[in-house]
Amino acid sequence: MLCRLCISFLAGAMLLSASALSQSSRRLTTPKTNSAPSPASSSTLSTRIVAYDIDAKLNTAAHTIDATETLVYRNLTGQPQQIFPFHLYLNAFQPQSTLMTEVRVVGTRGTGPNSGWDDKHHGSITVSKLEVEGMGDLTGKMEFIQPDDRNANDRSVFQVTLPKSIAPGESVQFRMSFHDELPEVLHRTGYKRDFYMVGQWFPKVGVWWKNAWNCHQFHANSEFFADFGTVDVNVTLPKNEIVGASGDLMSSSDNSDGTKTVKFHSEDVHDFSWTASPDYTVLQDSWTGSAGPVKILVLMSPGNMSSASRYIQALKGTLAWYDKWIGPYPYDRITVVDPPHGALDAGGMEYPTLITAGTGWFMPKGRLEPEAVVEHEFGHQYWYGMVATNEFEDAWLDEGINSYLEAKVMDELYGKNTSRFNFPFATAGNSEYQRLAYISLPDTDPLTRFSWKYIDDNAYGAVAYDKTATVLITLEKLIGEDTLRAALHEYFLRYRFKHPTGEDFLKTIEDVSHQDLKWYFDQAVYGTNILDYEIWNAHSDRLNWWEKEISGKNAGDEIHRTYVTVHRKGDFVFPVDVVIKFDDGTSATEHWDGRDRWIRYTYDRKAELASAQLDPENQVWLDRNLFNNSYTVQEDKRAVHKLQNLWIFASECLSQFLAWIS
Amino acid sequence: MKAVRPKTFVSGARLVWRWQRIVWWVFIVSLVLALFAVRGMVERAGAAMDHSLASQRLVDGFDVSAVFELMVQPDSPIEAPGPAIFHYSVIFAIFMLFAAGGILATYYDDAKPSTTAFFEACGHYFWRFVRLVIYMLLAFIPIGIFIAICGPIYDRIEDKSISPYSSVYFSCAAALVVLLLLIVVRLWFDMAQVISVAEDETRMHRALRRAASLLWHNFGSLFWLYLRISMLAWIFCGLGLHLWMYHLRPQSTTAAFLLAQTIVLFWIGTRLWQRASEVLWYRKFQAAGVTESTSSPAPSPDPSPLPYSTAMN
Repeated sequence: MLCRLCISFLAGAMLLSASALSQSSRRLTTPKTNSAPSPASSSTLSTRIVAYDIDAKLNTAAHTIDATETLVYRNLTGQPQQIFPFHLYLNAFQPQSTLMTEVRVVGTRGTGPNSGWDDKHHGSITVSKLEVEGMGDLTGKMEFIQPDDRNANDRSVFQVTLPKSIAPGESVQFRMSFHDELPEVLHRTGYKRDFYMVGQWFPKVGVWWKNAWNCHQFHANSEFFADFGTVDVNVTLPKNEIVGASGDLMSSSDNSDGTKTVKFHSEDVHDFSWTASPDYTVLQDSWTGSAGPVKILVLMSPGNMSSASRYIQALKGTLAWYDKWIGPYPYDRITVVDPPHGALDAGGMEYPTLITAGTGWFMPKGRLEPEAVVEHEFGHQYWYGMVATNEFEDAWLDEGINSYLEAKVMDELYGKNTSRFNFPFATAGNSEYQRLAYISLPDTDPLTRFSWKYIDDNAYGAVAYDKTATVLITLEKLIGEDTLRAALHEYFLRYRFKHPTGEDFLKTIEDVSHQDLKWYFDQAVYGTNILDYEIWNAHSDRLNWWEKEISGKNAGDEIHRTYVTVHRKGDFVFPVDVVIKFDDGTSATEHWDGRDRWIRYTYDRKAELASAQLDPENQVWLDRNLFNNSYTVQEDKRAVHKLQNLWIFASECLSQFLAWIS
Repeated sequence: MKAVRPKTFVSGARLVWRWQRIVWWVFIVSLVLALFAVRGMVERAGAAMDHSLASQRLVDGFDVSAVFELMVQPDSPIEAPGPAIFHYSVIFAIFMLFAAGGILATYYDDAKPSTTAFFEACGHYFWRFVRLVIYMLLAFIPIGIFIAICGPIYDRIEDKSISPYSSVYFSCAAALVVLLLLIVVRLWFDMAQVISVAEDETRMHRALRRAASLLWHNFGSLFWLYLRISMLAWIFCGLGLHLWMYHLRPQSTTAAFLLAQTIVLFWIGTRLWQRASEVLWYRKFQAAGVTESTSSPAPSPDPSPLPYSTAMN
């Protein structure tokens, strides 16, 4: 099967083959390194504000990196800048950091509040020297700041004040020497045995956004935000390492000391990560979309090879649907990293043109976890990678829109009701799966909450990811699925490489749908209202109930009065349709604006009630409980019997076990 | 001591078949207790589902998200069924401990007991068997220590090995060892129960010593006897579950119920098959007139009637 997918098993050195190296991007221009980044032009995708040039050396014995970094920053803020803040993300992996302090309260990514500290989780980044061209050594001018919580022990952000301001349109060049100590894989980065996933590893300048520097500390539940530009990275590491990175491989040369130096170049990106392991199996494939061919590189860890074809199939399908629905994928490569066992905290993460997947040695085909992770992380290439919203402050824009499209793409690829679990004995759709997370925590936080201010880690996931997806699925009822898709397409085209805000997104939907949706957004996006409608009561009564019941042939002539009462249990007001069916096959459809607390419909017919159903098209997914949305006069116990069977069997099995050991 | 290898595998099955009313009886008790255990949940789930069109998600298939949707509701009609199931399972385990004396006596005598005699036997041996359970908890301690030792080894292999399979293989091997040890312990204590019934042995430590001695000298035949029957149970259970999960139509609720109960019935039958086979083995052992070299009194070459057997006739 793998052969049919044109997958070849190559050694690391072969990955760096000359043919691959010679393929420079057709669509991206090669900038001059160490020079001021060029503003957006017809030949570049983004307004390039930063140009990083990093020379790094990996010490695999100590799990450290020693590097020098040159950053050219182009001042496009429209005003003179004298103070520059920088992220030092790796410093968050220390016991008294803000991230670890928050982990103790709210948990995060596989690390719960009760997790103890382990020295293997220690990570740090030390800037030993900082020079600014024309201004000399400013190492002494560096100061740690804590813009979010004033935790003096947090060293994940520093700022430097220059002796003189940088005028608008001017560039400034920073030169830094830094030393990384990597943690054992934690929070998307680090090492595990001989595997390295090196992310958030170099000093990154903040973003001038909304007329101020935006440079948040590293939090337990937050991701990242950075400016676009170019990144050139040289990594020196042992010869046997197989390397993947979020950039084009430009060259690889062996050194006399048993190491090699690989050079990567990346354009119109806002981050750079890389991975290395001598144990990778390299698979290659390609896909051609509206913007040309895309090279697919998959780095598989030992034991997980059975998931390789599943990754590739999901990736190609996602590329195709995004290309069709949202817009072209403009980069000529995408790398999928499969973390080894024990390093899943590095999985399920996105970096520009590089994503990390997640699987295990035992992954039944009916469990579509590897597919969902690849789909989700690739989707980030659009929302995190290109649209590049502020993940600290607007996590819902990236994660939520991406989760909505994950449901849509997975449904297209694997079936609406089988896109998460697809076994003969149990199924679940991806969108249902996401809705479940939302209804378990529907009212703790609005979508617009800053990512580190959610009540806890579960709420961050349930709201930023799953509630947003469910809000968008419900929005389809109001404006139509095609219109919503057109709005997402427009949003992408309008704001790619521009760091839009939540208001930009919502305004785009209103622009495209030509509807005023403020009433909906106020409740669904900015509010925490619960949406739950129910059939409060439904029954039929003989109109002349006090008279003796007619039997025989004329029984059907008797008029019945049917009452159906619909109740809005929650505070979320939403228009709903109600379909009432009668036992003679007729039906009535009502539309209720939902503003009052309840409404009662009454019918006088020569028929009795058969069923009453709210939202018959099943579109109002924000409704917390779909089971109380309908009432049938005819009792159907089959579902309960099915559950009863399972519980009885479970009880009997436990009984037999306890009897066996006693 | 000379090992005896009486062929009890088939005759044990015949004995269980002859006294199949015991199997049915145990099965019915198990089923009734299970019905009680899930009764509350069924009523609550019925109130939410019986008149809802949303329950079709569970009729035409098994949409797991539908079940979880009910579970996460604030006024959840379906709560985790664990506690009720556990309580009723404990009751069943106590019942089986109580019934074991009567069952073993019936198998030993291979004659129809009166109801009174059966329950007299149950009561006669019950506290002895309770003491055996306490001893058995002690016997589980070394197995617990073994598991506790395996845990860090597994973690270390998981942590250091590049391949995920190393730790998987290790855990499979460890699980197999634990399973086999558990069967040995079960075999040992089952034999002690048989000795207690056959010899009316009141001192359980002596019964255990003699059972250990018998097991030591006849380990191969006894262990193989138990393992064969266990393997049949596992295979049937696996096939049944496979059939249930992969081949039954989602709408076949009745068929699923019957299949599940068949699995349980077979499971009970095989467990009693082990007990019957061991009783037969012991009877043949007695009949063979094999004497033990231990200080404990040797079993009579001719099986004597049980202390209450007069009452049974």
